[in-house]
Amino acid sequence: MNVAYVARKLASLVVTIFLVLTFNFYLFRVLPGNPFALLFRGAGLSANAVRGLSAQFGLDQPLWIQYVIYLRNTLTGNLGLSFQTRAPVTDLIIPALINTAILLSVASVISIVIGILIGMLAAWKRGSKFDVGASATTLVLYSMPTFWLGLVLMVVGVIYFGLPVAGMRSFTGVTPGTLGEVVDLGQHMVLPLLTLVLGLVGQYVLVMKGALLDVFTQDFMITARAKGISSQKLLWDHGFKNAVLPMVALVALNLGLSIGGAVQTETVFSWPGMGLLIYRAILARDYPILQGAFLVVTLAVIIANFAADILYPFLDPRVGES
Amino acid sequence: MRKIQTLAVLFLLTISASALIAFPVRAQTAPVIFTVGWGAAPMDTLNPTAVTLYDGGAYVIMHLIYDTLVRADVNGDPIPDLAQSWSYSNSTTVTLNLVHNATWHDGQPFTADDVVYTVNTYLAHSEFPIMRLYVQNVQSIAAMDNYTVQISLKTPDATFISELLPAMYIIPKHIWQNVSNFTSYTNSNPVGTGPFKFTSWGGVNTYVQLDANKNYFLGAPHIDQLVVRYFTSYNSMALALQSGEIDYAGPLFPPALAQSLSSTNNVQVITRPDQRYYYFCFNGYFNGTGNPALRDPKVRLALSHAVNNTALNEVVWNGTYATPQNTVIPLTFAKWVNPNIQAYDFNLTEAAQILDNAGYKPGSDGIRVSPKGVRLSFKIEVPSDYSEEYRAAQMISGWWKQIGVEAKAQITDTGTLGNEVSAWQHDTFIWVWSVGEIVGPDYFLSMFKSTEAQPNPNGGLSDSGFMNATYDQLFSQQQQATDPAQRQQIIWQMQQIVHDNAVYIPLYDPFAAQGYRSDKFTGIPGGTLPPLNQYASNNLFLSVTPVSAMNQTTMATSQSNSTTVATQGVSSDTLAAIAAVIIVVIAAAAVLLKRRKSGPEKVQ
Repeated sequence: MNVAYVARKLASLVVTIFLVLTFNFYLFRVLPGNPFALLFRGAGLSANAVRGLSAQFGLDQPLWIQYVIYLRNTLTGNLGLSFQTRAPVTDLIIPALINTAILLSVASVISIVIGILIGMLAAWKRGSKFDVGASATTLVLYSMPTFWLGLVLMVVGVIYFGLPVAGMRSFTGVTPGTLGEVVDLGQHMVLPLLTLVLGLVGQYVLVMKGALLDVFTQDFMITARAKGISSQKLLWDHGFKNAVLPMVALVALNLGLSIGGAVQTETVFSWPGMGLLIYRAILARDYPILQGAFLVVTLAVIIANFAADILYPFLDPRVGES
Repeated sequence: MRKIQTLAVLFLLTISASALIAFPVRAQTAPVIFTVGWGAAPMDTLNPTAVTLYDGGAYVIMHLIYDTLVRADVNGDPIPDLAQSWSYSNSTTVTLNLVHNATWHDGQPFTADDVVYTVNTYLAHSEFPIMRLYVQNVQSIAAMDNYTVQISLKTPDATFISELLPAMYIIPKHIWQNVSNFTSYTNSNPVGTGPFKFTSWGGVNTYVQLDANKNYFLGAPHIDQLVVRYFTSYNSMALALQSGEIDYAGPLFPPALAQSLSSTNNVQVITRPDQRYYYFCFNGYFNGTGNPALRDPKVRLALSHAVNNTALNEVVWNGTYATPQNTVIPLTFAKWVNPNIQAYDFNLTEAAQILDNAGYKPGSDGIRVSPKGVRLSFKIEVPSDYSEEYRAAQMISGWWKQIGVEAKAQITDTGTLGNEVSAWQHDTFIWVWSVGEIVGPDYFLSMFKSTEAQPNPNGGLSDSGFMNATYDQLFSQQQQATDPAQRQQIIWQMQQIVHDNAVYIPLYDPFAAQGYRSDKFTGIPGGTLPPLNQYASNNLFLSVTPVSAMNQTTMATSQSNSTTVATQGVSSDTLAAIAAVIIVVIAAAAVLLKRRKSGPEKVQ
């Protein structure tokens, strides 16, 4: 692979990260309202108590000093203390990340695999009943409000299938450290997973189908067909291989974004992941948590994109050559 | 041929997977677990010195683990807790006799040393956000013997016993004396004297597990375990209550949801007065940038007569989930609420008359203009956190229009509105005051003190800009009035001043709507709970009793407990289906990949 290509991508990675850091700082300083002033009402603190808290978090310092402190702390892995809990933000983000990863990784894998399969089939049988039906269904699911879909699935799942409503675990009848605990987790995952997969699968289907249709119109496909290559080989080795690039971009983007959790799904099902952490932090205007979470999410997106960039030349040797 | 082969493989995989996963996990458990669903702020810290009262998440749990010296009863009067009695030897010296039979959760005995240590620790740490506030007026504390402490106050303080001590947790000396950094101390295994012992915390936004303290000095709880689970959606919490996944749900169901819950079998909905009230605020600050006409008390009075809070309550709170309120102290604090203050008469003619008499004549467009030429045109802002009050703002705007006053209702981001208020840029708004760091009338009266009405950063709670020397004087008098009857008189007088000056229009006092499984548990008190214990408390969960236990003893009037609720365990069919889906996907991927590999290899 071309060294210059990698170097170029790496340089833009570093610049982007710095810009993100700065923007992340700026964003939370221009937001209106001293988060502690809200404690007057939410918690009924006196003006004195609020001033004390502001000083403790350095909010009484000039902006540029706050910026320098922020940069230094972030680079040393210190994301600050949560306004609410006064615990280190990293301690709050890491367990939330793990919970999100459990849910979102499974959801992503399932929806990518199903999405690719349906998309390929729809492209292969373009105009057939399957194509129309699959495209329409996934499009409808894709545009459905997630919280609504989640609530509907919840009502059905709880009433007709006896699935648990929310959370990650039961408090009765499960012995910790046994297979039962894993099964219990699985049961709690079913509904949020279903909600996520139904919502996610649509875009994979559409992108896969679109990319493949594009490839089918290329000259080399006609040539290949003329050479008498079997349909199957035509679809996989000639079609899929060439159509996979936009899919890789989409998957990279989504994997990065999924680090931020699925705010709506996690909120409906009280799944204690990143989405829920962000949601609660917004309600409480807990800026350090939000700042930390946004940083982690943007970094994940940037790095996933970088990974995709590095991967491209392997998938398509034309990419890194120019 | 291949297709059939593949299908067969998939089928076998599915069957075996479902057999594997579907085998049973249910076990019969003896302990009585009371599961609480909690829709408000989640538990955020285990360190009582770090509690910020940030929406009270940790407070609810801390109150189960830690005891205070004194508790408040439903009237807000002090009753014994760790202190069994107390007496003042002079206006600033109080002696407390402690209980002899309390023990810490780790078995150590509770003594006066712990109380002295606690108070001195709170005194020494000005960085504690809340706990230090309760000892602000303490001069010194000393142990007279093992079970007696004497506290000297700086000034006579009517609130010390009844309002400060019920919120001040007593922490064990033998544990905390080894702590070097209180702020970063996680207190991962909190030890208190309270009715519940800490077992585990799943982390922010998850759950807290507690065991009953069988040695609780006021009598053991009737349940074995208490689980508090945090929900982010009241809709899903309602479903969890209906399906039996939780036994109790609160603290604040929205009216519509409470209504639908109350028609569910086996679910009992209770409403209790909440410790907050909604109000309509005028910016009367002398030096603000809001509409200056509002600095005229006559204008405020006229506008107050053009607001019907009973009608607003009907529309916004269904008339059922809130009570119209006439003064500036929530109805929970009943003995401090001046009963002689009535709502401003809703009378548009009278309102117009007041404006006419004060010289506010309608201009060419029908909108009144002040003698100085200021149009009576206002913004009514609603903070985005309470956007449902927008309807109230619209209705008020409609009434005002009829007396020649223009008002534009709008929803403003809560943070932005907060900024506007501290810079005195607002005209009017609807907002909420809820119970503060000090539980009692003090807090609700403090926002009308002159010293609170300053621009930031020196300012404080005031959003009305009200300044009145008599009021300020009365405020310090009531703080020092150790005779409750005298204090009540002063506090009533203060409310009258606020009312006469039309500083606020008090709107309504909402109820906290909560639900519980009446087929499984009983002993959950309805109606008023003591202040601070409003949502959930040692009082509340101490009396919870499983219905089956009641049946065994006497209770013949039991609700049907034959209806067992289908829950928890997932049917094996469902499991099989889930397993099947997962396996099919994986298998399909595997088969497809394999096919690719095994395909003919030439053609280049």
